[in-house]
Amino acid sequence: MRTKVIVFLLAAAVAVSAGALLLRGGQTENPVARITRDGVLLEEIDLGRVAKPYSLALEDESGGNTVLVEPGRIRVTEASCPDQVCVNQGWIDSGAVPIICLPNKLMIEIVGGGGDLDGTAG
Amino acid sequence: MRRARQVLSLLACALLLSGCQKEPVEGTTFAMDTVMSVTLYGGWDREQTKEVRDWMLGRLGWLDGLLSAVDGDGDLPTLNRAGGQPVEVSERVSELLDRALELCEITGGALDVTAYPAIKAWGFTEEEHRVPSPAELAELAAKIDYAAVEVEGESVTLPAGMEIDLGAVAKGYAGDVLAETARANDISSALLDLGQSTIVAVGGKPGGKPWRVGIVDPARPGSYFAVVELADMAMGTSGGYQRYFEQDGVRYWHILDPDTAAPARSGLSSVTVVSPSALTCDGLSTALFVMGLEEGADFWREHPELEFEAVFVTEDGGIYRTAGLEGRFSLAKGYEDREVTVLE
Repeated sequence: MRTKVIVFLLAAAVAVSAGALLLRGGQTENPVARITRDGVLLEEIDLGRVAKPYSLALEDESGGNTVLVEPGRIRVTEASCPDQVCVNQGWIDSGAVPIICLPNKLMIEIVGGGGDLDGTAG
Repeated sequence: MRRARQVLSLLACALLLSGCQKEPVEGTTFAMDTVMSVTLYGGWDREQTKEVRDWMLGRLGWLDGLLSAVDGDGDLPTLNRAGGQPVEVSERVSELLDRALELCEITGGALDVTAYPAIKAWGFTEEEHRVPSPAELAELAAKIDYAAVEVEGESVTLPAGMEIDLGAVAKGYAGDVLAETARANDISSALLDLGQSTIVAVGGKPGGKPWRVGIVDPARPGSYFAVVELADMAMGTSGGYQRYFEQDGVRYWHILDPDTAAPARSGLSSVTVVSPSALTCDGLSTALFVMGLEEGADFWREHPELEFEAVFVTEDGGIYRTAGLEGRFSLAKGYEDREVTVLE
């Protein structure tokens, strides 16, 4: 009897560990776009659940950016900044490279989606 | 009873094992005209790791002010305005300047910290771009000469009319400072992103595998064409696509050739350098971009003491990597059919 209890508890422990590992390592969830300004989260958009394209106007005293959201991807279409780097970057659909509008301190990054990169240089 | 205790401790062990790849401590800050972020996996004391993170983010802001050529009364603006008079600078500035000048010398001036007046003339500092006339460029190029900078201890003398900017090495230096901080605080696993152009891996990932870092495709800057595995290694990329403007259909980028004071057109669209030193990565990626593929490859062959490897992408999309990246370099998904030339 006691042996059975031990075996059961061990099996439970293994199951809990395996479950925890799977939950953490799986990364099978949808890609999520996180839009932050100066580190503060403005929007979190599950790009896997976008049914049809829409745009967002993000404005504050540092400047404005218009963001276009489509199923699976996101981009900046208009910006008040002089360099237009964020607009020129175009669409992103993975965590490879975030969109950064330095003058407006706006950052759009994609997390999740099963990417296997830890960072990008360039 | 004792058996039950054993079972409980076994359970606890299993739970601990499953939890040992815990969530990292992360932080982001705007510094040196870019977004920098740190990802730290510390020991059991999460609060201590958070303190290290806060110190790092604060340090980045401090280094930004210290090493900036733009801000009003810092060492570099003071030196740049001194009109040929010697200026006392802080120990860190003189130390970095010394190391930067060494890189300028070893690269034969392909890297030159005195190109600041030219960078300003093109409008890359204020993002108010213009194309200087050929006569203006000739005049600017004549005043780019790292060899004219004199450093004696903490006293620096710069000839009148010349100006220094450490932008090509500051991020790399900051990366080395942060990596040192991580190691000194027993953080054995960290990824320090100094604004994408420079990334430093402290140790490998928790669990021991190397960090996987992508290299941006210069032709499609939203994607990456290759992955480099890094453990206790830094990586830096310089590319014409990073900062540029277009006028009359011509693209002018921020990496200038010190010989011409104009954007370096060497046939390359990006250079990535992998080395234990982030400062080396940062400075050499710029220098190799200016040199071009052939001269850059020769430089790699001639300087094994710099302990670096490189990946070159040419404007026509050719990919070249040095032999030392064997086993650490792979093409990314969607790029598997691209040819990679190995430089021996």
